[in-house]
Amino acid sequence: MEILIYGTINSVALALYALGFALVYGISRLPNFAHGALYVLSGFITWSALNTLKLNYLLSIILAMAVTALIGAVIYRLFLIRVRGMEISEIIASYAIGLAILEGLRWGGFKGMTYTLPPFIEGSASIAGISVDYQRISVIGIGAALVAVLWLFTHHTRIGLALRGMAQDERAALMLGIDSDVMAVVAMAVGSMLAALAAILLLPLGNIVVESGYNVLILAIAVCIVGGLGSWIGAVLAAFLIGFAQILTVVYLGAHFQMVVALLAIILTLILKPSGLFGRQKELEERV
Amino acid sequence: MKRGSFFSVFLLLTVSWLLISPARAAQPIVLGCPLSTAFLYGWDAERGFTLAMEEINAAGGVAVGSEKRPFKMEVIDTRDLEPGVPVSEALLAVEKLILDKKADFILGGPVRSEAALAAMPLLSKYKKVSILTSGVLTPKYSQMVAEQYDKFKYCFRIHGEAKNLVGEIFANFAELKQKYGFNNLFIMAQDVSHARGAAELVKKLATDKGWNVTGLEIYPTGATDFSMGLLKAKDSKTEIINIWMDMPESSILLKQWFDMKVPALPFGSTLAAAEQPGFWKATEGKGEYTLCNVVNAGNAPSNATPWTMKFYDAYAKRWGIEPEGLGSSSSYMAVYVLKDGIERAGSLDPDKVVAALEKTDLMGVYGRLRFDPKSHQVIPSTDPKEGAVGSILQWQAGKRVVVYPKSIAMGEIKLPPWMQK
Repeated sequence: MEILIYGTINSVALALYALGFALVYGISRLPNFAHGALYVLSGFITWSALNTLKLNYLLSIILAMAVTALIGAVIYRLFLIRVRGMEISEIIASYAIGLAILEGLRWGGFKGMTYTLPPFIEGSASIAGISVDYQRISVIGIGAALVAVLWLFTHHTRIGLALRGMAQDERAALMLGIDSDVMAVVAMAVGSMLAALAAILLLPLGNIVVESGYNVLILAIAVCIVGGLGSWIGAVLAAFLIGFAQILTVVYLGAHFQMVVALLAIILTLILKPSGLFGRQKELEERV
Repeated sequence: MKRGSFFSVFLLLTVSWLLISPARAAQPIVLGCPLSTAFLYGWDAERGFTLAMEEINAAGGVAVGSEKRPFKMEVIDTRDLEPGVPVSEALLAVEKLILDKKADFILGGPVRSEAALAAMPLLSKYKKVSILTSGVLTPKYSQMVAEQYDKFKYCFRIHGEAKNLVGEIFANFAELKQKYGFNNLFIMAQDVSHARGAAELVKKLATDKGWNVTGLEIYPTGATDFSMGLLKAKDSKTEIINIWMDMPESSILLKQWFDMKVPALPFGSTLAAAEQPGFWKATEGKGEYTLCNVVNAGNAPSNATPWTMKFYDAYAKRWGIEPEGLGSSSSYMAVYVLKDGIERAGSLDPDKVVAALEKTDLMGVYGRLRFDPKSHQVIPSTDPKEGAVGSILQWQAGKRVVVYPKSIAMGEIKLPPWMQK
């Protein structure tokens, strides 16, 4: 039972890490390697709004999500637009931006373990005899709601449909009058906001440390590669595969192998099915 | 005539200025400090050095023969406590301090045991006397000095090492066994050299001493979820969780422990998060009852020696926060011990300073400071009159209360409400 409960929590956490990254890549084919840095940055923005500006928690959350979305849009508009279409340059540029954000935070004195966000609800419940705190339960609930909202957004709104159009066939979308750069800006903003949402949900479980930006990036990439780059449904499924594999590894092999699971999943996927579970970019090569 | 008077006055002023401030005029003694400055064991050491250096310089500096010379600090961030940063980065930092910054002595780190061990041949190559002051707990460091004295004689360590820490925790375990009948022990360690080694040692010793070791979990540096390990501990009726972690994420472990109401006392041997005064706020008070070893007295309030609270208060006044980590008092004392060694040697010559340091006998912040002449490890004791005393504290009602050793204890170990029968 504990494997089921904590496996689900771990899987939802992985899905939350990865959704923003998957969305940006799916729509604009942009590998946003600043994703982990935006996750950490939004945590510190929330913390600053709460402790320095003395705003209430909800306002701090809204402010952090809005500012992070804006930063994502600015990153694309100022930097990534110049290297659009050059994949290696996109990776280098976005990784460099992420590095600058993380090192800038460290340089600005955001170090140590004293930066924390309060949980939404204090206390814990017993599920089938297993103690689970309310924050973790809310992670599952909000994570599931987020997937539903994303589905509605991409299937029933004009912007969402335009984003899907871009993801399916950029040239056809251009012919229909959809501006590719505007959609990429929107994708970066939404992707960054998702990183912020993940941070706001998951950081109350621990503390805000700069180093976690690198971990989040690695896990997001692992989930997206296994699920198929660009497919957010694939990302959700891969998050459950890796999430449960990690928990089973901790239970039966040992906690220090936990990180190996994600890296092993990347290697195995690239060997056996390079396009991942739902990806399309290598489909032709795989069929041939 | 007028010009002659002016020249005489100018000469007089210049000579007076030089005589009045000899320490300012003399060439400084450069202390090279390779520290992982973004982490507790880096910044606490830097603060300890700075405080001692400022006090010594304000008092006139260091007497080197007939000359008074001030200390000057050069700090380089080794980043060796960060996950994924290779040891070679720390070695480059040490070499840069020696070659570029012209460090006369190396104080502090590298802080990670692996990096400190790798730096030993470098220190021998350049004949640089080094005193480790923070974080390096591996017993191998002093073993290597003892085994290859001629090669590694320049390496000293002024704080306790893992073997001392293990001895101290077993003294507490024995007391808990006697008082509450505890017999089940679960060990959680970070995947780094000193923590892995110490955890294995605790497991072996605990088994030999009749404890039931219910599990040993090793976590990668940067791990943020400990729930499965805690559930294992809970299911196996564990009464003490022994923790060996220096990563800031270890505070998450204590929050999870509280949320899950695990009926086992968290006993950190190395537990960086719980050492800091900010731990209470970081865990929203959920870390209450956590025990941790701050390696030497002075890093938490106690009256080990007359110098202990004098240092503690001076540190708090200078930095606006109480001493935070296990490297605070030892880093502070290292500067005084080095000053004492240089003054007795009457020179900066490394071989003469090594010989002088081996004869160190100084009553410091955490007791009587002497080095073992073979291994260059500070001599430990539970009595501050005899040697360097350790310190184990427990978080009680928002305060760090020293509970061990008995000679300096300010309170007794308490159990959380959900463990009380």
